[in-house]
Amino acid sequence: MAASQLLLEVLALGAAYALVALGFVLILNATGAVNFSQGDMVMAGGFGAVLLGNALHVPGLVLLPLLLAGMAALGVVVAAVAYMPLRRRPPEAVFISTIAVGIILQNAANHLFGAEPIAAPPLLGAGRVRFAGIDASVQSLAIIGVAVLLVVFLQVLFAHTQFGRRLRATAQDREVAMAIGIPVDRMVTVTFAIGAALAGAAGLLLANAFFVTPTSGADYMVKAYIAIVIGGWGSIPGAVAGALLIAAFEVLYPSLPLLIPPLLRMAQSDTVFSQTTSTIVLDVAVLVILVARPRGLFGDAVRQRP
Amino acid sequence: MSRGALSWPDCRWPARLWPARRRPIAAWPSAACRAASGLLIALLVGSPAHAAGPATPDIPVLVPVTGFLAAEGSSQRNGALLALQNPPAGVQPKFAVTDTGTSPEGAVNALERALSDGDVTAVVASMLGTQMLAMLPIALAHKVPLTTMSGTADITRKGNPYVFRFFPADSVVKGAQVRYAIDVDHIKRPAVIYQTTAYGQSGHAEILKALEAAGIKPVFEDALDVSVKDMQPVLAKARAAGADSLLLQLHGGPTALFLKAAASMDIGLPIIAGSGLAQPSTVALLDPAEIKGACAETGASPVSAETPEMQGFLARYRAAFHTDPDGFALGQYDATMMVLDAVAHGATTAADVTRVLSTESYTGLAMTYKSDGHGDMAHAAVIICYDGKSRIPAVVKHYDFPIATP
Repeated sequence: MAASQLLLEVLALGAAYALVALGFVLILNATGAVNFSQGDMVMAGGFGAVLLGNALHVPGLVLLPLLLAGMAALGVVVAAVAYMPLRRRPPEAVFISTIAVGIILQNAANHLFGAEPIAAPPLLGAGRVRFAGIDASVQSLAIIGVAVLLVVFLQVLFAHTQFGRRLRATAQDREVAMAIGIPVDRMVTVTFAIGAALAGAAGLLLANAFFVTPTSGADYMVKAYIAIVIGGWGSIPGAVAGALLIAAFEVLYPSLPLLIPPLLRMAQSDTVFSQTTSTIVLDVAVLVILVARPRGLFGDAVRQRP
Repeated sequence: MSRGALSWPDCRWPARLWPARRRPIAAWPSAACRAASGLLIALLVGSPAHAAGPATPDIPVLVPVTGFLAAEGSSQRNGALLALQNPPAGVQPKFAVTDTGTSPEGAVNALERALSDGDVTAVVASMLGTQMLAMLPIALAHKVPLTTMSGTADITRKGNPYVFRFFPADSVVKGAQVRYAIDVDHIKRPAVIYQTTAYGQSGHAEILKALEAAGIKPVFEDALDVSVKDMQPVLAKARAAGADSLLLQLHGGPTALFLKAAASMDIGLPIIAGSGLAQPSTVALLDPAEIKGACAETGASPVSAETPEMQGFLARYRAAFHTDPDGFALGQYDATMMVLDAVAHGATTAADVTRVLSTESYTGLAMTYKSDGHGDMAHAAVIICYDGKSRIPAVVKHYDFPIATP
């Protein structure tokens, strides 16, 4: 298996994880509270894609704008129900309320779609393409393309628009933002909408290749959390880097014996380079990063980790 | 019943038992007294109406329909409901479905609540092993039989006489999986890929045991967490290790991911999967071409509808639940029908039903069930294979294992 092929898989998986982590970190920065329903938002996006796909019978790329709009609306509802009434309470109150939102979403999905795994429609179509010695699925390439587009869009929004500057001001210092007339609550609500839309996009991207079940959100939540711990609590580039690092551990570490054949002949090679060991090694790496660089790899933490 | 044959009581308080000064009333009005006495006698000796009335066993359904085992638990619930809604003549079961979630506390609370409601005849109990282990002491204390589809080996190794498992144990299905791989695919260098969960580890141990008995050692083994998304590395490593076949013990979703990756890599090795590939919900995630030639073990394959009876079950299940049944649904249907059949033949109490489940055999739709003395009722397995054109598998081999008695 070629290294370039594995790198492509890392990029595809990491790009989708990055969208989850980005939504997570945007809300974290805007509110100072961890949104524990972010993983279940990904799940909701996956089921939303299934629902739209069944109704419209069009490729996922056509569904994407509709899904983003629907998920943004869901984000507004979550902000109104789980954040706004508690925004002057300690952050723990929001932790609990977003956990409750996640449980509600899980049970709603279980009721509406059943517990069995379902696949969302592909972004463009099934099939594989070969180039430069790489045999890639169209879906993997489309995931990378869509994720890059969304990240670039976010970058333009935050860096080059007045609206984005207001969002950033709210994230950096709510009191000062309020003092200079920025409608902070509205900005926070919009941030929830963007975070939910990103989660929805990730749900669409992941639910075709990896399916979706009502309980699949918990795994994405853990990955998003690890990604921002690695990258730097509150750092947007750090969240992307953390997501890519997680994907690299998932895909590259177990494949090391394929890239370095002498490792195949090593005693206990199966165990040392298993998927399970890769998770352990990742967790150890997180601990090492926390000890060596408590603010994460990008070292410019905006918020204090709870 | 004539008054000459059985004289009415005189409706006076027996003076020796209840002195006159402490009687609530001096004497009941004669008509009311006689009516009450008549009713009492009818209840005691059994009136014709009572003898002809249906038996009404109480069979609560306590299964996980939310949480990570919701898909399998829903199948179990559906199988039980189909039986309870179509009982044998003369039986009108009372039942209520309670979601146990996936915590032991949820199962214990559900069982205690059900038992507090009255005389429970038998329980359709969770297929989640940790919940079953928590429910066993309560069943023992209340002497109520539990029927389950749980694969956890320990539940029938505790010496509890009130647990009855209607799905083949791992030793049975994994034995069939390995036997088929040896007999048909002539494997000599298998790779064994399994889940890190209790289900995966238990199956892995039985696969190794069966391979060892045949003098075969796997050339590659890997345990996968259920969250693993990319199956290509493990497949590539199995191929690099020189495997001539792939033996799987994975849950449904990961099985689908694995088969998808194997098809995209054109892996070209025989795949004999665990029961995850026998689940219609798993197969629905895959194109028929992606499972061409793949086989799987299972207790039963109701969608294959081998017999007219099975075809009838399939039609009724689809009509009732608008989905396809799996082996869990069929197993729990058979289990519940065995309980109802026992009631129809006069087993009116939990003790009666326990005795029947412990000692009698029952020919269900999937197989003939009989306890091995520990509560393991199912001793047969089938191998199913997919032809690449359809998602309906063909049953290619039946394996009946001798009942291991204590």
